[in-house]
Amino acid sequence: MSGPIINWIDKRFPLTSFVKHELTDYPTPRNLSYWWNFGFLAGIVLVLQVATGIFLAMHYKADATLAFDSIQHIMREVNYGWLLRYMHAVGASAFFFVIFVHMARTLYYGSFRAPRELLWWTGQGLLLMLMATAFMGYLLPWGQMSFWGATVITNLFKVTPFIGEQVVIWLRGDYSVGDDTLTRFFSLHYLFPFLIIGAVIVHLVALHTVKSSNPSGIDLKDKDNIPFHPYFTAKDLYGLGIFLIVYSVFVFFMPNSLIEPANNVPANPMMTPNHIVPEWYFLPFYAILRSVPNMFGGVVAMALSVMMFAFMPFLDRSRIPGGARYRPIYRLQFYLFLIDMLVLGYVGYKPPTNPSIVVVGQVATFCYFASFFVVPFVSKMEENWLIKRGLPAGIMELMEREKRDLEARKEEHRRRKGDRI
Amino acid sequence: MSKLLKIMLLGCLSMSAFAEEAKLEKIQVPTDKPSIAKGAEDWINNCLTCHTMKYVKYRDLLSLGIDKAKVDGWRGEASLDTPLTAQMPEAVAMATFAKLPPDLSLMAQARDGGPNYVYSYLIGYYVKPDGSVGNHIFPETKMPDPLGISSAANAAERAEKQKTAKSIVTFLTWAADPHAGERDTLGKYVIAYLVVLSALLYVVKKQIWSRLK
Ligand code: HEC
Ligand code: HEM
Repeated sequence: MSGPIINWIDKRFPLTSFVKHELTDYPTPRNLSYWWNFGFLAGIVLVLQVATGIFLAMHYKADATLAFDSIQHIMREVNYGWLLRYMHAVGASAFFFVIFVHMARTLYYGSFRAPRELLWWTGQGLLLMLMATAFMGYLLPWGQMSFWGATVITNLFKVTPFIGEQVVIWLRGDYSVGDDTLTRFFSLHYLFPFLIIGAVIVHLVALHTVKSSNPSGIDLKDKDNIPFHPYFTAKDLYGLGIFLIVYSVFVFFMPNSLIEPANNVPANPMMTPNHIVPEWYFLPFYAILRSVPNMFGGVVAMALSVMMFAFMPFLDRSRIPGGARYRPIYRLQFYLFLIDMLVLGYVGYKPPTNPSIVVVGQVATFCYFASFFVVPFVSKMEENWLIKRGLPAGIMELMEREKRDLEARKEEHRRRKGDRI
Repeated sequence: MSKLLKIMLLGCLSMSAFAEEAKLEKIQVPTDKPSIAKGAEDWINNCLTCHTMKYVKYRDLLSLGIDKAKVDGWRGEASLDTPLTAQMPEAVAMATFAKLPPDLSLMAQARDGGPNYVYSYLIGYYVKPDGSVGNHIFPETKMPDPLGISSAANAAERAEKQKTAKSIVTFLTWAADPHAGERDTLGKYVIAYLVVLSALLYVVKKQIWSRLK
């Protein structure tokens, strides 16, 4: 890229050099599989949500007496309003689906380990913000499930020590979920996606500092890195095409499969729906909440269950690179964890009337936390076993080198400290 | 805590009531305009006495191809932009049923089972041994058998009423999501386009990656 205008700008602002450094020439491991597409997809879904959301907000009315009608106005009278609304509602599910795959990829390949801890933690922050955004957005249509979902979840803050009641009122803006809750949720639902965009930038800065991990787990030499453009732009765009096909099947042919029937009944504080279920992406965590018989314990368990991922860099002490690829036991743990998540999701969906469902939920909750807590021990045992059994030469070499580097750094650190005394 | 417990308990109780309910009849709901128009007519004749459809206006009926004269007959003095409003005043309904008949605009999507639920509910009336009328799907319902299916004299009459019920459900399904037809058509084009686009992108990707040694 050149020309007088670009030149003029480049003297004053790193336009082309930035694009060149961070996008087109950005070195990327050539062996990245399609599982590495999902970060890009998450970015696209974020843009889709913001774009459809802004147009929805032009017709939506954040007022308890008008909100439900305004959604129907969007669905019936606004030109292609039905498309906007279905894209946005399906988009929220798509966002979680993509993020869950993205996280599973990271867990499988152990990409959360050094030096990518900060990258992983910013991702954890993004997950929390996404959950908050979706939760607040779900109140806006002001259907029965919107209202009762928000009631149940805000009510959980009652367990805050000493000031529980006040916190709940503070969140709702009233004694019960009502107009004041709706207006504040709308305001924050509009704000949060922009905070998410900011956090995504931080996430990407961290990524570009430490660079992408890759399925081999080894930091590839320069000759195995290829420029992002055109190789990964082409690969990501192809993945985007496939993603959009699946997304469109939902938007055009089964949009209501993701909207609870009860949410097509206007909110009615006098009538509790038969069965309060959150959206599918909250179900495993909801199951954990319900599996603890005590409310305080349940809330703590639920909060902890979401936050457990943040501990992974501390829990997984194995020095074997490549995540599950070279670690059969870790791989087994990974798949068991996924199955446990599905069981929890099922339990969260079922009403807790059936005692066997409750027991299954409690066992699955125990397994959920256990699968994190056993990681430090299992990973060390597995490492010793694998070393004894013999690892590929390249990998052993890499681990030896990393060990030497670590020793050297420690030595350096001691020496500097000694200097200061 | 007690509130949450109550909510959950209520949820459990009503859910167990749900589980005992009879199986729903499954129907294939037509989506062509003449069937929907016929359904609108059946709905107005059988249900408008008690039920409102606040999101459907008389003008929308014209777009279904229903005769202007017929629509004018139904709406009387009301303007074309009036929603289909129950003939029975709310106070009378309240006095008769002790609750208001619900708005039916979104009914086909507002219950588990959707259109199948409404259909099964409408044809679910039967005469109990004690001579009173019950409903298999919603036993404690306050709505009196609107199509008189419980008093059908023979199989032919019953089949006739089932046909009316299906026709009404056709209209309700349309009313709950009037753009469904348009969505379907557009969706086919969008997906066809995306499939071609993805195929091309795949070729481009292959081509570009083949440059790597
Ligand atoms: C005589 C007045 C009356 C007529 C006529 C009438 N309904 Fe109703 N309908 C009611 C009342 C009252 C209820 C509330 C029932 C309840 O919740 O117990 C109701 C409820 C319903 C429900 C909701 C059931 C639920 O799950 O909550 C549906 C669906 C329904 N009616 C459909 C129809 C259809 C379709 C027709 C025309 C064939 C019709 N009704 C005719 C009085 C009427
Ligand atoms: C992080 C991205 C976002 C997520 C995950 C998200 C999620 C949601 C969800 C789950 C709903 C309820 C959908 C339904 O059941 O109908 C919703 C509704 C809504 N959102 Fe968002 N949203 C996002 C961004 C935005 C943005 C940027 C805006 C801009 C103002 C916006 C405006 C709205 C409006 C007006 C509604 C009500 C209309 C409706 O319910 O369809 N959203 N959102």
